[in-house]
Amino acid sequence: MTNTLDAWRIGQEPAYHAAGDEITGYAAAYAARLPVMLKGPTGCGKTRFVEHMAWRLGRPLVTVSCHEDMTASDLVGRYLLGPEGTHWQDGPLTLAVRYGGICYLDEVVEARQDTTVIIHALTDNRRVLPLEKKGELVSAHPDFQLVISYNPGYQSVLKDLKESTKQRFCAMDFDYPAPEIETTIVAAQSGLDDGVSRQLVQIGGKSRNLRGHGLDEGASTRMLIHAGRLIREGLPLRQACALALITPLTDDPDIRVALQDAVDACA
Amino acid sequence: MRWTPVPDGDQARWPDATRAAFPGDALDRFAAMHARLAGAGYGGEVPRVFAITARQVAERLGTEPALALGPAASRVAIKARPRIAALYLHTAAAIARKLESPAFARWQERMLDVLRAAPESLLPLLERMEMLTERLPPEALDAWIDTGLRFAGRDAAKRLAFFRLETPEARRLLERHAGEDIFRTLEQALVAGHRALWGRVPPLREALPDATGHTPRRSSFGMGVLCLPSSFPDHRGREALLYRAAMAHVGAHLDYGGAPFEVGQLKPMQIAVVSLIEDARVETLAMRDMPGLRRLWGAFHEIGPDGVATAPSLFARLARALFDPDFPRKHGWVAKGAALFEAQSGRLHDPAISRQIGNLLGNDLGQTRVHFNAKGYMVQPVYRDDNVGLWNFPDDMHEPPEQQHELPIETRDRRRAEAGEGPPNRDPPEKAPGSLSVEEVAPQDGEQLMVLPEYDYAARVERPDWVAVNRYVPGAGDPGFWQRLQERHPEALRRTSALVSQASVGQRRRLKRQAEGETLDLDAAIDAAIDLRGGRLPDHRVYEGTSAPNRSISVHLLLDSSRSTGDTTGSGSVLELERDAAGILALAMDRLGDPLAISAFSSRGREDMRITEVKKFDDRLGMATGMGLTGLRPAWSTRIGAAIRYGGRSLEQMASHRRLVLLLTDGEPSDIDVPDRAYLVADARRAVQMLSAKGIDCFCIALGDTAGGRHAEIFGRGRFVTIEDIATLPERLTALFLRLSN
Repeated sequence: MTNTLDAWRIGQEPAYHAAGDEITGYAAAYAARLPVMLKGPTGCGKTRFVEHMAWRLGRPLVTVSCHEDMTASDLVGRYLLGPEGTHWQDGPLTLAVRYGGICYLDEVVEARQDTTVIIHALTDNRRVLPLEKKGELVSAHPDFQLVISYNPGYQSVLKDLKESTKQRFCAMDFDYPAPEIETTIVAAQSGLDDGVSRQLVQIGGKSRNLRGHGLDEGASTRMLIHAGRLIREGLPLRQACALALITPLTDDPDIRVALQDAVDACA
Repeated sequence: MRWTPVPDGDQARWPDATRAAFPGDALDRFAAMHARLAGAGYGGEVPRVFAITARQVAERLGTEPALALGPAASRVAIKARPRIAALYLHTAAAIARKLESPAFARWQERMLDVLRAAPESLLPLLERMEMLTERLPPEALDAWIDTGLRFAGRDAAKRLAFFRLETPEARRLLERHAGEDIFRTLEQALVAGHRALWGRVPPLREALPDATGHTPRRSSFGMGVLCLPSSFPDHRGREALLYRAAMAHVGAHLDYGGAPFEVGQLKPMQIAVVSLIEDARVETLAMRDMPGLRRLWGAFHEIGPDGVATAPSLFARLARALFDPDFPRKHGWVAKGAALFEAQSGRLHDPAISRQIGNLLGNDLGQTRVHFNAKGYMVQPVYRDDNVGLWNFPDDMHEPPEQQHELPIETRDRRRAEAGEGPPNRDPPEKAPGSLSVEEVAPQDGEQLMVLPEYDYAARVERPDWVAVNRYVPGAGDPGFWQRLQERHPEALRRTSALVSQASVGQRRRLKRQAEGETLDLDAAIDAAIDLRGGRLPDHRVYEGTSAPNRSISVHLLLDSSRSTGDTTGSGSVLELERDAAGILALAMDRLGDPLAISAFSSRGREDMRITEVKKFDDRLGMATGMGLTGLRPAWSTRIGAAIRYGGRSLEQMASHRRLVLLLTDGEPSDIDVPDRAYLVADARRAVQMLSAKGIDCFCIALGDTAGGRHAEIFGRGRFVTIEDIATLPERLTALFLRLSN
């Protein structure tokens, strides 16, 4: 039955530049089948890291991007109406549990809190997923692992993981890489030379100075790569930064001026 | 004001131009108006100017606006002085040349408004009208006059100072309405830009002119504070660039500079030269890291390579030569300085080289007998700071004196303003709130809004039309309220905005027969199954889901401004905390798009329930709101029931799912005409019940430890909270609102 998840297998190695010992840490957690939580700002490489690890471990990866309308049924599955009456359709989480994949819940705090409690039984020593509506108890495949990510920057009183959820996970901190590593990443992913990549990384660093002072987040590595690609397409640096960094980041005219100043100062 | 009609035959005495300007019977009306002014005892000047002005206005804009000048001039003459009436007519003639008919009519209207509200200010306003209309378009002029009237409230002296442009606020507001870039308009972008570049921002201060009118023209840093000139009037059009260049220069000093230099035995000229080298050193280092800064600063190096070898010119040339390697070094001293600096390019991280090179160059210049005037010396180019921050000046050394004294004074004033006190020398803090208020707000100033019923628990009747609600305008307020609020409560504002962005208010609804959803809708599924079996096409909408919550709430916030709210707590008076809390809540609700009205209430018996409308539901949140909030003054008593009814009346018009009267008070109901406390408590309870019957909720926030006594009785259990630590109010009000609305 494992071919059910073949579509979720990753064929080519996703490029990932380790910033520390996160690869050995994750490998150990997977070997012990412990659930993992990745914390860090948006666009710093959490998703890419999970893809890379799934490829490295040879496991299929089922990714679910959580959103505020997401319900438990969207994860575990639901009854559908067919010509012969109703039939059950597994959700992505159930698929991973049944057939042994890594299930990655991206930005899990975005989901409603009643959604997150269904993973409780999966993330302790029981390793089972109760399908309430179907009256079935699915025992997890030995290869199954749950990974969640969340961005502490968005954290608020209203949306945070419950203590009982948090305490089931091993956690790894992610942040934007050091300037040299980030320069290498931007250069490799955008195809630019080191000089311009370094300028972009410097601009990114300046924008991160405004985190909490007008910006919720500075420019992510992903944004810098986007700007780099635009430069590759022939745009001048200023225009590429306006398109890929400044305008997406903020609508506040003062902050835009500030970011524009940072771009001007670095180039 | 008796006047005799001018006989027909007299028409002939008017010049041809006048007769052409007033065709037909308009000439009669003009003549009558003229005769009336001539016969009213205003002297000869008023009718004479009227004759000229009216003709000119009639030629350009028609007879009606021209004839309207007559009664207006008459009113000015009566309420102010005939001389001012003549000036009014003079000015009107000049204004009529610039404006079209409707705008001119509005201008006339506006002048009469000023005459009504602030007769003493008309003269200074008219005297400056030419300058004002040159700088301000008509709408902006309107707004500036409005702001002036609001800013000074009932304080005639303050109004006069405003319209004479004697207060910095007046000038600053003028600049703002004129759309020029000044420190205040640029501050936020400057702060953010500086933080982006350097990762931190020193406290910024606007260096306002001091009492002697001395205006700093360079930035200055030192004592941990960065002072920037309030404007750069000689650099119109590129102020924004100049401020950025100045801030970047100081940023370079703070990042690459060392400890302040010791003055020792150095002469003023040597100090200037060492500072110049240090400026070049930190700029060079900063440009190595951020090459784009060269463009920013380069725009201000304007000196040419030639010219008379005066000290300021040589300094400016050296500054440019150190900045720009391609600049021709025609003067020997400049060439030597540049060569010495370049020789040290490997050691630029060491501040000691500035001192070394500066000493050498200073000695050289001293021997050439170039005269250096330390008093009048201005650092060039204009974006560079005054160098005070680079040096450890001993206390007894008065060089340079102005800035050294300026800095601490300015900082202290600012701190006072932040602490919520009024600006110095103006608006003395209210030592005796009661007595002050009597003069300040006399009862006849209010405009009656409505008459409300009141409930008498002893007689068990509701007396209709019992309490008169009068509207009052807020006193003088602070136009910079929002900026100060940001400075006072940065954390609370940040947290609230995070909370707000997550909040959602409204009902979730169960949606049946949906195309997609969480679960099967049983009825729909059965119908579909029947259709299937019967060979019909089934409806594919067989699911059930919930709708996203739908935000719909409006709030009327009522602030108790009774006399007791003037009591100080640890961090300002109760009223000040109320108004900060209201400000934060208003910002939050504005972001959510929820309608909010803010009123303050106090009372002086049932004849005078005093309501100050700070913000109505359809007012935009802006400077006027801030000025209204800061213009509130504590006075009189607390008639809660009437306040609640008033809030309810305004909410009745709102078509929201939830309507909420939110009441902030520091005590129990009381008023001067009611000896029986239980009476007002019972009335307030009745008011809450009546609103509740109309679907309007009331919630009370009781402040201080004395509160809470009878609030449960009035509002019902769970419909009030007590906040004992009043200082936490600004932060808690919005959190509370979000909880209530969720």
